[in-house]
Amino acid sequence: MNLRNLSIIRERITQRMFPKDFALVRWWNQDRESAARIVSVTLVMVLAAGIRLWGLNQIGFNTDEAVYSGQAAAIAQVPVLRDIFPVFRAHPLLFQFFLALLFNFGVSELAARLLAVAVGVVTVFIVYRLGSLLYGESTGILAALILAVMPYHVVVSRQVLLDGPMVLCATLTLYLLARYALTGNPVWLHAAGIGMGLTFLAKETGIILVGAVYSFFALSREVYVRIQDLIISFVLMILMILPFPLSIWLAGGSKVGQQYLIWQLFRRPNHTWDFYLTTVPLEIGILVIIVALAGFWLLWSERSWREKLLVWWILVPVVFFQIWPTKGYQYLLAIAPPFAILASRTLNRWLWIENPVFGNRRLSTTWVRALVGGILIITLLSSSWQTIQPATTGSFIAGTGGVPGGREAGEWIQENIPEQATLLTIGPSMANILQFYGHRKALGLSVSPNPLHRNPSYESVNNPDFDIRSNNIQYLVWDSYSAGRSSFFSDRLLELVARFNGRAVHTQTVTITLEDGTKAEKPVIIVYSVHP
Amino acid sequence: MKHLKLFSSLLILFSVLTPMLGTSDVSAFQSEVKANTPIEHFVVVMQQNHTFDNYFGTYPGANGIPANACVPVSVSGADTSCVSPYKISNQPITDLSHSDTIFRNQYQNGKMNGFVDALNKLNQNGTLTMGHFDDQDIPYYWNLADQYVLFDNYFSSAHTGSITNRMFWVSGRAGREFNRIPEGGFGNIPTIFDSLQERGISWKFYIRNYDPELTYRKLKELDYLPPQIQWVPLLSFDRFLDDPELSSRIVDLSEYYTDLENGTLPAVSYVLLLGATEHPISDVSLGETATRTMLQALMQSSAWKSSAFFLTYDDWGGWYDHVPPPQIDDRGYGFRVPSLLISPYARRGHIDHTLLDHTSILKFIEENWNIPPLAERDAKANNFTSAFNFSVSPRPPVFIAATREVPAPRIQPRRIVIYAAYGAAMLFAFIILLRALTTRENLQRSSYEPNLRKEIKP
Repeated sequence: MNLRNLSIIRERITQRMFPKDFALVRWWNQDRESAARIVSVTLVMVLAAGIRLWGLNQIGFNTDEAVYSGQAAAIAQVPVLRDIFPVFRAHPLLFQFFLALLFNFGVSELAARLLAVAVGVVTVFIVYRLGSLLYGESTGILAALILAVMPYHVVVSRQVLLDGPMVLCATLTLYLLARYALTGNPVWLHAAGIGMGLTFLAKETGIILVGAVYSFFALSREVYVRIQDLIISFVLMILMILPFPLSIWLAGGSKVGQQYLIWQLFRRPNHTWDFYLTTVPLEIGILVIIVALAGFWLLWSERSWREKLLVWWILVPVVFFQIWPTKGYQYLLAIAPPFAILASRTLNRWLWIENPVFGNRRLSTTWVRALVGGILIITLLSSSWQTIQPATTGSFIAGTGGVPGGREAGEWIQENIPEQATLLTIGPSMANILQFYGHRKALGLSVSPNPLHRNPSYESVNNPDFDIRSNNIQYLVWDSYSAGRSSFFSDRLLELVARFNGRAVHTQTVTITLEDGTKAEKPVIIVYSVHP
Repeated sequence: MKHLKLFSSLLILFSVLTPMLGTSDVSAFQSEVKANTPIEHFVVVMQQNHTFDNYFGTYPGANGIPANACVPVSVSGADTSCVSPYKISNQPITDLSHSDTIFRNQYQNGKMNGFVDALNKLNQNGTLTMGHFDDQDIPYYWNLADQYVLFDNYFSSAHTGSITNRMFWVSGRAGREFNRIPEGGFGNIPTIFDSLQERGISWKFYIRNYDPELTYRKLKELDYLPPQIQWVPLLSFDRFLDDPELSSRIVDLSEYYTDLENGTLPAVSYVLLLGATEHPISDVSLGETATRTMLQALMQSSAWKSSAFFLTYDDWGGWYDHVPPPQIDDRGYGFRVPSLLISPYARRGHIDHTLLDHTSILKFIEENWNIPPLAERDAKANNFTSAFNFSVSPRPPVFIAATREVPAPRIQPRRIVIYAAYGAAMLFAFIILLRALTTRENLQRSSYEPNLRKEIKP
């Protein structure tokens, strides 16, 4: 059977399935280009939503998700959670504000995560628009596809974190800046100021992207900008930022804000210097980075302000967070969209210019694009797919997803542990999760008694022996995740268990895969009751 | 007397046969008799030496210290001054005399005006009797009273010290000698534990820091009366010392916790908190902490939903109380003592005015498990079932705070400010972005031409 026969068969099947008077077929025949674009974008969006929704609520919140949802619940005045979680912590409250609107109808972790997914899918769409604006439709669609399946963005946008909304606003700002650079119409620059303000309101660290904007305008001679437009844009950004300090000041939380500032400035490094180097490239996709960087060399003749804009959007956060002592898995998420666009640009532009030669044969452009693009997408998709599966090891990196067993242990606590009981966990991360699900006060043993070395929201336990002897702490909770991070505090907690007649009243297990491939139940959280 | 002999003979026979039958395993000894109320586990702790007014005299709504109370320094009128009740706080206290003679001198045939004078005559600081604690000194007990039941008409059974009052607590009788342990022990006086044992109803007497060697037989070697012997009447009964089936029920308090954990808490538990006594000059917070530990463990266990925890005090300890105790016989009552009932079925924040004494505890056990009265006192005693409400579902366990201070309020921000500020920002952003996005323009006719060397082909 040759290709011609295949084509005839396909034609016949298509005609049978879609008669010529069918509305969709008429539209397809009339504006094939638009139709193809819409279908492609729709498919990318469906894929983006699908992979983000798959098994979304299978595992409960991690510590950050618990904290942000707890804040939202506190804003929405949800009983019990309102008394456990403070409204004001380190970050602005844009995402929590929207969550609070949802939580007024009842606290739902699924609803919170669906909101996060929606934010992620909208970001994918904006990447499509941005890619299209800078390099054409096919680059936009491919960039959106890359981001849709990129593990880094998939993982973060499935969680109730502030980084997802921050990246949405940052990418919107990037789009608005590109519109300004293309048109010179100041209305876009003003809108970009709004976008940057929103970026800050989503997460205050987004403000560092102002550095990227400055660098772009300062070093791109092709883009002319009037000082007065810059000032207006800056004022608009400040106006957008205002709700953060204003709400703290007017709502009565200024002291808390100051404490956080001091803590953030002086806190100790939480990861080694090579944390990002060893973590983020794998999550963005090594191939994506290689292809994106290769584009600078392969498409050197096409260099313009477009690449400068995208490169500054990558460089500034990377340099800043590499220097900043506090490191987090999701902090560099803002660089994902420009990387996706740059990689897409390379694939589209370079392969468009001339059909590449492989040995003595000149390859068909379509096939090579499909092959390289396919490999890139499949590797990303495969990696994302693995990442969104429930953890099977009993350990994890903060920010990479939910904590297996945390929700179940918390719900057990809510049902079985008396009200007003106080729990002591190894660290504050598990304490946050158990507080959210368990509705019981939980303290972290590892929280420093020195106010300069602890999150102002956390309460230190200066003398756990005394607190247990005085019946102020009735339960000790050991968990494998915190134990993996701090064997010292794990040992100390187990010492207290032994000293105060500890009895395991609940053991939360997760199913893990052993080296030989067999499944086993591993205890990840153990709740001990203690008494003097 | 004949009945008693028959009873003791049966008891000895039973105690001999039981080990033979192989039923000495404690875990096998579980109550098979169904309770008449939802209360299947009754725990009673008897502390020492405080009056109701001394602990709850200023508790709102209770029959506490009268506003104008002032007790004369001298009953004879030699000194016309008087002492008003005052807050003790951290002032040092002493063990005030509280014999039957002191009672009579303080009671003054119902005039209740001899509290200061009686102690002064013994060269003790009579003023101290007028001291009282309040919610800052015993916050946990006050919090319990807020949430459960406080009895303000509960009297010690005898107007004397611990031994007689505790005998009433276990047997409904004063014992052979008034407030003394007879040389040969209490003999064959029947106790509630005999009745429970006879009916196969589980029981235990938990003693904190229990020393099995310290029994009344040891008194011959000692020149003092150890608190364990004084406060645990069973240790002065030969059968409770010699019969393994009975003596195995007298255990260390640590077993209380394992019984709770294993779901083997007996139907009836008597408790002595040795080493955590509130007997002056001890720090009252020791008793509070021990009680809190016991209650929290009970609340954590499966027994909570069918339990009642009763806290009371054996005698008045020489402290002032303004209510003249009814004299129902030549033994008592003595002055009022504090009493609390904690149970998932207890009425919330209820002050119970029923006339009660230590034999009311026996009354409750007897009526709950269909046991005939042991003596005249418990037969006539009132039950405290009015403190329960069995028509509602049991209250879930809630740990009661150990302080009266309301925790420093978390900053409760004005949420309307947050909604208004962020809402306004979003509206503003929406307007500006909408204005930009609705700007119709052709990129090719833009005033700015990008410096692309090679334009993107469609």
